[in-house]
Amino acid sequence: MNEEKKTQKHENFEPKIVGFLCNWCSYAGADLAGTSRIQYPPNIRIIRVMCSGSVDSMYILRALLDGADGVFVGGCHPGDCHYIDGNYKARRRMVLLENILNTLGLEKERVWMRWISASEGQKFADTMREMTEAIRKLGPNPIAKHWDL
Amino acid sequence: MTQKVLKIKDNDVGGSLNDFLKHLLSSGKIQTLLVQQTLPSKKIAFPVLVSDPKKLHADVLAPILPVSTATIISKMTKVQSPTRPIGVVMRACQIRALVELVKLNQASLTNIVIIGVDCPGTFPLNTYVDFPEKKSPTHFLLDSFTQKTDDAEKYFRSACRVCKDPIPTNADLVIGIYGTDIQKEILIEAHTEIGRELIKEAPLDEEKDEKAREKAVKEIREAKEQKRTTFLKEKEGNRGIERIAEFFEKCVNCHNCQQACPICYCKECLFDSAVFDAEGYKYQRRTEVKGLMKMPNDALLFQLGRMNHMILSCVECGLCEQACPNNIPLMDVFIPVAENAQKEFAYNPGKEKTEKIPMIVYREDEFLEVGEK
Repeated sequence: MNEEKKTQKHENFEPKIVGFLCNWCSYAGADLAGTSRIQYPPNIRIIRVMCSGSVDSMYILRALLDGADGVFVGGCHPGDCHYIDGNYKARRRMVLLENILNTLGLEKERVWMRWISASEGQKFADTMREMTEAIRKLGPNPIAKHWDL
Repeated sequence: MTQKVLKIKDNDVGGSLNDFLKHLLSSGKIQTLLVQQTLPSKKIAFPVLVSDPKKLHADVLAPILPVSTATIISKMTKVQSPTRPIGVVMRACQIRALVELVKLNQASLTNIVIIGVDCPGTFPLNTYVDFPEKKSPTHFLLDSFTQKTDDAEKYFRSACRVCKDPIPTNADLVIGIYGTDIQKEILIEAHTEIGRELIKEAPLDEEKDEKAREKAVKEIREAKEQKRTTFLKEKEGNRGIERIAEFFEKCVNCHNCQQACPICYCKECLFDSAVFDAEGYKYQRRTEVKGLMKMPNDALLFQLGRMNHMILSCVECGLCEQACPNNIPLMDVFIPVAENAQKEFAYNPGKEKTEKIPMIVYREDEFLEVGEK
């Protein structure tokens, strides 16, 4: 009952998602989704980066502190990194970041890391749909109303 | 390990220790010594670099840690290692920090002879200078230490109260005050070949009972562990945005903590860089997101960013807290996060010199749940 109510409340809520996509795989994957005219929710604001390994957790934290409801980090599949091991290091950083999110009282499910290759336009669209729905269920970022940070 | 005993002359612990260090310095086996010495004002002790044994008036046990000695050694060795040995007298937390700096390629141990000293705890800088008791801080601490009372506890820096390990590891030589009667004698342990060579001709007596030291070290480590567990439990509630926003609300974004931290080594901190310079309209637009914004902005982001960058190597020396002009009890948040993060990567900062810091290594088959669910 409670769960139902919660879902209902968030039905009209459109999550704001900030996405960091690596130049070599995920960004090209997103591009392919576009050129293939695959429809997906427009909730993500894409920022192209050279490698998922170049995304300092600070950028993710800044997005969340400024009120983003979710952050998406997309990289090449493990073993496929253009810079050999950037995505492996990004993965470790994500584990470390969970500690900080926990301190902030934020659900770790607000930050997603997924491996999407340049040929996986469909996977990118599916992931966006999945993430948008998951964040919609979580509800708005509680930090969004805090201006005293 | 070789263990020897330094006899205390005329009931003067500090003087006898100074004589021992004087001997090391005049023996020529170390050319320079970095050690704590009371300044002419007699109010405060600071690390000094000494080459002339006659001018050495070391105050090894003065309960104060004004700056990070690890940072000093990083400064002295980063450009080029010294050509002749420098002896450095350090507390356990600073040795841990030095080991981390070596792993981060910010310091070298070539020609650095680490003389660790058992640490009973230190007082905050200002408490030390304006000490409220009749005795001097050093005497007050030593009396409390020998009589095994908790008198000094209330003056300790909070980091010292929940110290991870007050007994030095990775030192060439250890000056031991646990497991002995410091009114009569102090233990000198050589842990490496360099250490043994250093005390070969020193005026020390042979130790008869090594067991007493071992037992005392075990006891103090257990006692500290227990205090830490209680502390971690107490601070468990320091999470959630309401609590964290309130915790850091006095932060004026001065970055003193980052300056004082031995682990924060970046020449130019990202938070001091042009990344944070923005045109006026961007401030206006950012404000429109929430309608209002506390200034200076990004103070909490700085704290969390710094935490994220250094927490795995955090040696819990508490210098950040001592540097805070607004007395934010930083350790209350940093220690619990450090504990969790280090546990996650099974990493113990400052313990193993050869271990790599977790953020530069990886395994292909780890944390598979991150990335694909």
